[in-house]
Amino acid sequence: MTDYRQKYQMTPVIGWLLNDRGGMILLGILIAAAILVPMSNLLLPESSAFHVPTWMVSLLGKYLCYALLALSVDLIWGFCGILSLGHGAFFALGGYAMGMYLMRQIGDRGVYGDPVLPDFMVFLNWQELPWYWYGFDMFWFAIVMAMFVPGLLAFVFGFLAFRSRVTGVYLSIITQAMTYALLLAFFRNDMGFGGNNGLTDFKDLLGYSLQSDGTRAGLFVASCVFLGICYVVARGITQSRLGKVLIAIRDAESRVRFTGYRVEYYKLFVFTVSAVMAGIAGALYVPQVGIINPGEFAPALSIEIVIWVAVGGRGTLYGAVLGAFIVNYAKTFFTGAMPDFWLFFLGGLFIAVTLFLPKGVIGAIPAFGSPDRQSIITAWRKRRANEGGKA
Amino acid sequence: MNKKLQALIGAGAMAVSAMAMSAAQAAETIKVGVLHSLSGTMAISETTLKDTVLMLVDDLNKNGGLLGKEVEAVVVDPASDWPLFAEKARELIEQEQVDVVFGCWTSVSRKSVLPVFEELNSMLFYPVQYEGEESSRNVFYTGAAPNQQAIPAVDYLMSEDGGSAERIVLLGTDYVYPRTTNKILRSYLNGKGISDEDIMENYTPFGHSDWQSIVADVKAFASAGKKTAVVSTINGDANVPFYKELANQGIKAEDIPVVAFSVGEEELAGIDTAPLVGHLAAWNYFQSVESDANAAFIEKWHAFIGDESRVTNDPMEATYIGFNMWKQAVEQAGTTDVDAVRQAMYGQEVANLTGGTAVMNTNHHLSKPVLIGEVQDNGQFDIVWETEGTVVGDAWSDFLPESAKLTADWTYPWVCGNCEKPMY
Amino acid sequence: MRNDMFSMLRRSPHCLQQARKSGSRLGAVLACLLIFFMAVPDMAMAYSDEELRNVAERLDAKSSTQKIEVIEEMAADGDPRVAPILRAMLEGDLYVRESDEHVVITRKQGKVYTHIDIVSGEEIGESGSKEISKIKVNNRLRGVLRDALATLNLFSPDLTTRTNAVEQIMDARDPAMLPLLLRAIDREEDETLLARMELARATMALAAGETTEERLAAIEVLSSETTPQIRAVLYQFVASAEAGGFEPEVIAAANDALESVEGRLSTWQTVGDVYRGISLGSVLLLAAVGLAITFGVMGVINMAHGEMIMIGAYTTFMVQQALGSFLPSGSAWSLAISVPAAFLVAGAVGVVIERSVIRFLYGRPLETLLATWGVSLVLQQAIRTIFGATNQQVTAPDFMSGAIEFSTGLVLTYNRLWIILFSIIVVAGIAAVLRYTAFGLQMRAVTQNRRMAGSVGIRTGYVDALTFGLGSGIAGIAGVALSQISNVSPNLGQTYIIDSFMVVVFGGVGNLWGTVLGAFSLGIVNKFLEPVAGAVLAKIFVLIALILFIQKRPKGLFALKGRAVEA
Repeated sequence: MTDYRQKYQMTPVIGWLLNDRGGMILLGILIAAAILVPMSNLLLPESSAFHVPTWMVSLLGKYLCYALLALSVDLIWGFCGILSLGHGAFFALGGYAMGMYLMRQIGDRGVYGDPVLPDFMVFLNWQELPWYWYGFDMFWFAIVMAMFVPGLLAFVFGFLAFRSRVTGVYLSIITQAMTYALLLAFFRNDMGFGGNNGLTDFKDLLGYSLQSDGTRAGLFVASCVFLGICYVVARGITQSRLGKVLIAIRDAESRVRFTGYRVEYYKLFVFTVSAVMAGIAGALYVPQVGIINPGEFAPALSIEIVIWVAVGGRGTLYGAVLGAFIVNYAKTFFTGAMPDFWLFFLGGLFIAVTLFLPKGVIGAIPAFGSPDRQSIITAWRKRRANEGGKA
Repeated sequence: MNKKLQALIGAGAMAVSAMAMSAAQAAETIKVGVLHSLSGTMAISETTLKDTVLMLVDDLNKNGGLLGKEVEAVVVDPASDWPLFAEKARELIEQEQVDVVFGCWTSVSRKSVLPVFEELNSMLFYPVQYEGEESSRNVFYTGAAPNQQAIPAVDYLMSEDGGSAERIVLLGTDYVYPRTTNKILRSYLNGKGISDEDIMENYTPFGHSDWQSIVADVKAFASAGKKTAVVSTINGDANVPFYKELANQGIKAEDIPVVAFSVGEEELAGIDTAPLVGHLAAWNYFQSVESDANAAFIEKWHAFIGDESRVTNDPMEATYIGFNMWKQAVEQAGTTDVDAVRQAMYGQEVANLTGGTAVMNTNHHLSKPVLIGEVQDNGQFDIVWETEGTVVGDAWSDFLPESAKLTADWTYPWVCGNCEKPMY
Repeated sequence: MRNDMFSMLRRSPHCLQQARKSGSRLGAVLACLLIFFMAVPDMAMAYSDEELRNVAERLDAKSSTQKIEVIEEMAADGDPRVAPILRAMLEGDLYVRESDEHVVITRKQGKVYTHIDIVSGEEIGESGSKEISKIKVNNRLRGVLRDALATLNLFSPDLTTRTNAVEQIMDARDPAMLPLLLRAIDREEDETLLARMELARATMALAAGETTEERLAAIEVLSSETTPQIRAVLYQFVASAEAGGFEPEVIAAANDALESVEGRLSTWQTVGDVYRGISLGSVLLLAAVGLAITFGVMGVINMAHGEMIMIGAYTTFMVQQALGSFLPSGSAWSLAISVPAAFLVAGAVGVVIERSVIRFLYGRPLETLLATWGVSLVLQQAIRTIFGATNQQVTAPDFMSGAIEFSTGLVLTYNRLWIILFSIIVVAGIAAVLRYTAFGLQMRAVTQNRRMAGSVGIRTGYVDALTFGLGSGIAGIAGVALSQISNVSPNLGQTYIIDSFMVVVFGGVGNLWGTVLGAFSLGIVNKFLEPVAGAVLAKIFVLIALILFIQKRPKGLFALKGRAVEA
């Protein structure tokens, strides 16, 4: 195997990218998809065997957003050992920022024809727009907010948590408490975010109708592009010196601290970056599914994200992307094919992956698995043998 | 070795497109989509409606199908996950090419699928009572609008027979239906001379399970000397603990009657109702209604589900009416084409289960009778009051200033779900 | 004879005047009745058999107004056979027999209705539900019936019946009943009841009294008591006092009395909040304590914990069904049987899960999260497939229904009291098992140092399985208790899983007492916030407080010390 790093001394980024086989494949697929899928959807006639129907473009776009979300979780969990069970919160906040922009875009086309107030405010007799809705009529502002709000929350939350050295399950549970508290808060109609119904009935984005095939294809391409960019950023972080420290923190936090590193700053940085990525994923997700509501804050969803990562393969980045696709495709397929029994399959899948593919699906592919990777059951047998059959 | 990964991803992609292929065939049967949650929090209510549609389809096929074709139900599980509702709706319409969809329970699920139905010009029958404030060209609302449930119920509470209530507690789960309904009720009550200080409003989260404080508060509110009644828009899951607390704290219906809009036979099935006798519910149908159609329906339901103890409820009747209306409209139009069927739907009449006739109005809402029932110790309702004739469902409430201006009428010259003046 | 009396009654001008003045028809009739009683003290009126039958048949009138007229007429008659008829009507046991149009009282057993003759009080046959039609009552009628029964019962020889009648009169506060009450006071010999009667009299005398002294005396009687009714009486009086043209000193006294009653009531309100907090805490504790073992002691992030609770609840349902069909006489014992049954069933499921999945994952807590999440999905769907998605009915035994009601408005419901007690017993039981049994010792040994424990001959695998089984079994027991206050549906477990984790983490992982303290403090804080902020905000505040608390004490209330922490 050629070490591309030596070959391209001058451009380290390309160097480590070329060294990252899974990443290359992922980026390749993303580029191909970003070109081929919209083309076949828009240019090929519906009768053609290679025509990708619009619903599939939306579906794949949705998966891409989930993949980006999974990527953000893998960045902190796989490389820094921070298990966030509340990442759905950042995703949803990004989604709400985009949703608010889309709501403002409706303008007077709402059912009550109010030029400023969204419908749900009109029929609950709100007289004027709450202050936190100002500015969301501008696209750039919404995009900034979609990244800034999750980032800020993560920064504050992380600052408090990492400074006091909250780790392990304690951290996981308080992230869960965070998303649960937000879930309840957004449920409240008094909050001014549409309560349980959330934000819906969107019309257009930057002047393009959300119903048109062109916009859908555009959003799909955007999802591909952002997933690609975020992948490169995440890979860049993990490949850098900082990334090495992160991995060291994951494996032996105290030792890193004793060596003189300010562990909390490293964690805070990566946690915030990850939250921003989740926010971007949310912002891309909302126009493609057409609704954002507090359900996205549900603790169960956040747990599910972690499961996508685990299924795909933790600590690989591209594994997280694969995991998000596998689990969500399984969900799409089984809820249609076996509506009464699909939970058996999904639950079974999770159990089977944990027991037989400890490194996820990616780990099962020899090209990506290192020689010492083995199933937990094998490891357990070995351990048992070592302990003299006592265990 | 990269090929393995590629192969894996390729296989997935192929499976996705294979799903698409299967849609192309069809057309020998008429397909009916069923979009009710079979798992997650809403499964508890929606599974029954899925079974109802399956029963109706089964029955239709036994009687020779529709337009000489067999009817096939396509069931999917949106799993109480609102974005998944939209995805599944798209799957049903685009991929499975269904001719009509029966589905949704919560408002948010309906809101989630609405753009899909409008974009693809398909047809949804929505069988649950809801907050109104909507009339889509692509949705037929067979459940009650607020004026077919909430307002008559409050009238009853304030009447002599209902106990001449002068003080009202509005208890609800914090989401759009209770908020809107209570808004309408407050405005209505104010108009009836009940001042704001005699109205208590309280909202709880979904699935709220600890009702001790709230029931105690209601008791305290009721001890001010005026006759007090409770209007409950508490959603599904939270009702069992609510009623259990009510019973245990000894709130008797004669003292503080509770009238509920979301509690039917199905919800009571989980509670011992002996201490709750006399509490009320307002619906358009009760299982205890004595009519031949209802007896036949209950018998059919028991035979289909294979369990004599299963109850029937209002959303089931709404599904029944919707399904039969659709069937008649298809027969009349001679096709399942959405536009033709929609035209045929207006004015369509179907015998309801309470011995009268349901009529589909041009605002896509039904004319239905309003019944008020008292809980009995066997988990059934005894009808204590009903409207003389039927009440026309009102999409836009007259008691909200912004919505009072709007009209829903999908026939010429209006052709609009929310207009202040005709389009043509 | 009776007719003569009745016409005499009608002819009495004073009585008619009273009837016109009083808003309540029933009150008027009773007032007339009273005059009659006074005039002819010991001569009870009575219907002839035929009259009784006729008047009872008129109860099946169309409108409730007509029915009320008949009820009032019957109540005004002194016939002792009237009370059972009215009581049967109140309870919905009064039917008209289709065959001869006779009104009968029925007693229902299964699907068979036994008919009881209203005239003779004897059983006169039985039928199914088709042959009889119910005389319908609504809430208004129930109110009238209860008032009528109360006045009839005011002179009952049975003390409890009399007491209930007085309470009913106090609730109704119809001034027209005052003369009747005065008469009852004259006759009453029981001291306690006499005090209640005086109180009842005061509630009416306040507005209806004739002189200032009478009113002031009434206020004094009232202010010595602390009940919401008294507050209502005073409040109403004060509100209407200005318009009523009462004396200033009376109004001032009433205001003072109202203030002091309100002050005392708010103290009781606080007591109530504490009690409700403890009650919520006990529910949280029951839900979390099993997790304190599987998660806290073993380090397994058991996402299927909620489903163990659900299995416990469904076991209760099954036990009740089985008892109902095979041994109806034993239904009272259903919960007593359910507790061990739920422990065994949930425990067995737990052991199976441990042996088939979790034992491969020790030392990888995050992977147990993944696998047990899968297990939880499978279990939920399994229950849904077997029992259906709808709620199942778990009935409450008699000793868990109802409440202790203090006159101060504090209500302690029996089911909550039992659950508080039950949670204490369960925790004490676990503590005892951990501390005093060989299994507890081995369990602690294995969790502290697995290899060392193995070396001294403890079968670690066996202990693991039993520990997980114990945690699951206790979750099952919690399910029995929760089935009494919550839905028994496939979603039951999901409702409690997050709260359970919060409690365990708040208390400090691996510490049973931390869990106990955590559960009760979260419960009480929640219940104190709830009246102020509303249920939703209260919960949000509690969650935020929890997050901030963990910053202060990153290992919970009681942190484990030593090497185990880092592992």
